[in-house]
Amino acid sequence: MKIILGFVLILLSTVAAWGAQATQLQFALNWKAEPEFGGFYTAKLSGSFQKRNLDVEITEGGAGTPVVQMVANSKVRFGIAAADEVVISQARGADVVALFAVYQINPQGIMVHPERGFKSLGDVFNSPGTLAIQSGSPHALFLQKQFPGYKVTFVPYAGGIATFLTDPNFSQQCFVTSEPLIARRKGKPAQSFLIADAGFNPYGTVVIARRQYVAKNQKQTRDLINTVREGWIEYLRAPEPANNTMVKLNRAMDAVSMKEAAEVQKSFILGAGAPAQELGKMTMERWGTLVNQLYDLKLIKTKPVADKLFQNF
Amino acid sequence: MNSSSYSDQSKSGAAVRCEGISRAFAGTGLVLDRLTFQIEPGEFVALLGPSGSGKSSLLRLTAGLDRADAGRLVIEAEQGTVSRGFVFQEATLIPWRNVLRNTTLPLELQGWEMERAKARAQEELWRVRLMEFAALYPHELSGGMKMRTSVARALITHPNLLLLDEPFAALDEPTRHALQQQLREIWAALGMTVLFVTHSISEAVFLANRIIVLSPRPARILLDSSIQLTETRTAALRTSFAYVEEVRRIATVVPTPEQET
Amino acid sequence: MNFKTKISSLLPPLLPLILGMALAEITVRSGWVPSYLIPAPSEVIRSLIDDRVELAVAAWTTLSSALAGLLLSFTTGTLFAIALSASDLARRAFYPYAVFFQTVPIISIAPLLVIWFGFGQPTVIASAAIVSVFPIIASTLLGLKSTEPALIDLFTLYSASARQMLYMLKIPFALPQIFSGLRIASGLAVVGAIVGEFIGGGGLGSVVDSARTQQRIDRVFAAVLISALLGAVLVGAVNLISALTLGSWHISERKAS
Repeated sequence: MKIILGFVLILLSTVAAWGAQATQLQFALNWKAEPEFGGFYTAKLSGSFQKRNLDVEITEGGAGTPVVQMVANSKVRFGIAAADEVVISQARGADVVALFAVYQINPQGIMVHPERGFKSLGDVFNSPGTLAIQSGSPHALFLQKQFPGYKVTFVPYAGGIATFLTDPNFSQQCFVTSEPLIARRKGKPAQSFLIADAGFNPYGTVVIARRQYVAKNQKQTRDLINTVREGWIEYLRAPEPANNTMVKLNRAMDAVSMKEAAEVQKSFILGAGAPAQELGKMTMERWGTLVNQLYDLKLIKTKPVADKLFQNF
Repeated sequence: MNSSSYSDQSKSGAAVRCEGISRAFAGTGLVLDRLTFQIEPGEFVALLGPSGSGKSSLLRLTAGLDRADAGRLVIEAEQGTVSRGFVFQEATLIPWRNVLRNTTLPLELQGWEMERAKARAQEELWRVRLMEFAALYPHELSGGMKMRTSVARALITHPNLLLLDEPFAALDEPTRHALQQQLREIWAALGMTVLFVTHSISEAVFLANRIIVLSPRPARILLDSSIQLTETRTAALRTSFAYVEEVRRIATVVPTPEQET
Repeated sequence: MNFKTKISSLLPPLLPLILGMALAEITVRSGWVPSYLIPAPSEVIRSLIDDRVELAVAAWTTLSSALAGLLLSFTTGTLFAIALSASDLARRAFYPYAVFFQTVPIISIAPLLVIWFGFGQPTVIASAAIVSVFPIIASTLLGLKSTEPALIDLFTLYSASARQMLYMLKIPFALPQIFSGLRIASGLAVVGAIVGEFIGGGGLGSVVDSARTQQRIDRVFAAVLISALLGAVLVGAVNLISALTLGSWHISERKAS
């Protein structure tokens, strides 16, 4: 008798859990929990999602997580991607749109050992040594085009800074708000160059969803984006609660590095200093520039219309 | 067929003396129970008994491939050192060597020069009538030819003790009969001591001068008797009255399957 | 086999391929299956043709790394197995560690390999070797143990030394098993090379990595097809050597005559 009762209970709770899952909104990150995603965690912790009837679950990602494909395939409702991924996917027929941009200034950069004495990105590319950069990525192609006849050896970028710490001739791509700080805490201070300064400055860390889903769920999307905006405004003011949560999720970063990163990234998020209500909003001009750049780099064969790529909420 | 004796020595065999030989195996228990017997140089002895009676174990002890748990087993050559030849139940040829190279194997293992070994091998192949097939590989041979290669291989070291473990059991009758006769002729020419294990009474009587009958496990000697037949064993002998009588005599001693416990 | 039987023997395996490709082409072209999930076969073929030079160079790099890795794993694996076969104690002591090479996920130790061997081919070869060594050890060990007992008796009877037993009997007898292990290892060596290239750079691995970043699924498929071809080439080479070596005597090589 007890066995039957237990079995029924398990069955019921499984059904209940499965039912609950059906109304949950999955929010897929494209990396591990870091200050780059701080505002999302703040929004979750503050309960603001729940207040607006949104059951949001944030899942971390890693190297190679195909968030754009997951969103396009409706495996997750919302996700994080790079702006250039949105353009390329649109050109390939995956109808995803950007809804919110965390970084107005793209923090993508190249970090090097200061002992090398580099004064510019040109020095990095025209000197011997190794540079770990995501092969085939827009910023890699952009820089290779800008510095033809480069002497540096390109190697795959696998994430982390392990090789940077051990090899003095090693340089790598990074988020200037993140990896150089970790390197300094581990005893190897790094010098970084911003790729945006070289002329490639797409929006950084954008929230994406399927256009059809957004069209059918305007209110839900607006509520979600507004909550996200509130979360980021709060995170800019007080990052500690979210950092405490994220440090437990991501072993690669310690609390002090997260605090530093949250501080350093402020200027990248605020950009030219827009008012709080405008946080995360995007312009047609910026998207248009990106489309042209990707077309020139031969990453896309057709140019998507800029206003099909994003929607401000 | 060449039945001349070995050029390097006159006929010579080895004596085999067993005293109280016992052997047990884990799982099967006691297989040989205090066996005592003596074989004189040049005798052709058949070890007769039902399957599993330990006769193969006894042969392996004589070959030096196994050690007895108790008792003494001494082998003495009439002349020179003890040299054994072994013919297995399966021809056991090396598949990637041809007939000639299979025959030369024992000499190669003993460090002989290839040319000398090949010359010797050709002698033995002539003796077993396989000369034309020297270049063939085992997979191209019939069962009888494989067995003859095995015999040639066993003879190549000019053994004074030749051990055979039911070598003809898997062959068809005409081949079996022919090889039995050839073996007898070889023994007559070379004069080594032969210990031949078999479960066939008719084979034992045809081949041997002396038969030792073993009981089922644990093996004891049920009969040790000489065979009263002519020295020359021919095909005609098989249907002669004397042969049939000897077979009958031996058969009365050999336990039938119902008697085995 | 005459021409007709040759064709009729090729037809059965070709049929599903043709049907499958036709099906894929139709569903992707019509838009029923989005092209970012599965590329239309025509696009994959176009990719193969357009990028044939780049793919050929990359394939050659991967093949040479896989081959080097296979040679490395073959020599070390065979020597290791021979050493283990000599002593029961040695086998029980060291064999479990050989199993480790089978179970360790190469994708997680590849970054370590880069730290030890640096970027480029050394890491790729190491990765190919690590992934392909275990089948060689296991098969060689099995083969060395499978010698016919009667032949071991024969060698013992003539007081053969351990070296004679090994070279004249055990190793030749083990060859069919050794080739069997080599067949499995050669496919694995290609996989190991490509995984190594994800982290170490170069070859087909970097083509896949870069194509993935650019969401060029057709290029990914093209590269994957070629790597499967590389595996088949290596296995074919092993089969050839096996046929030449064992042809005269082993039952697995002889056709019914």
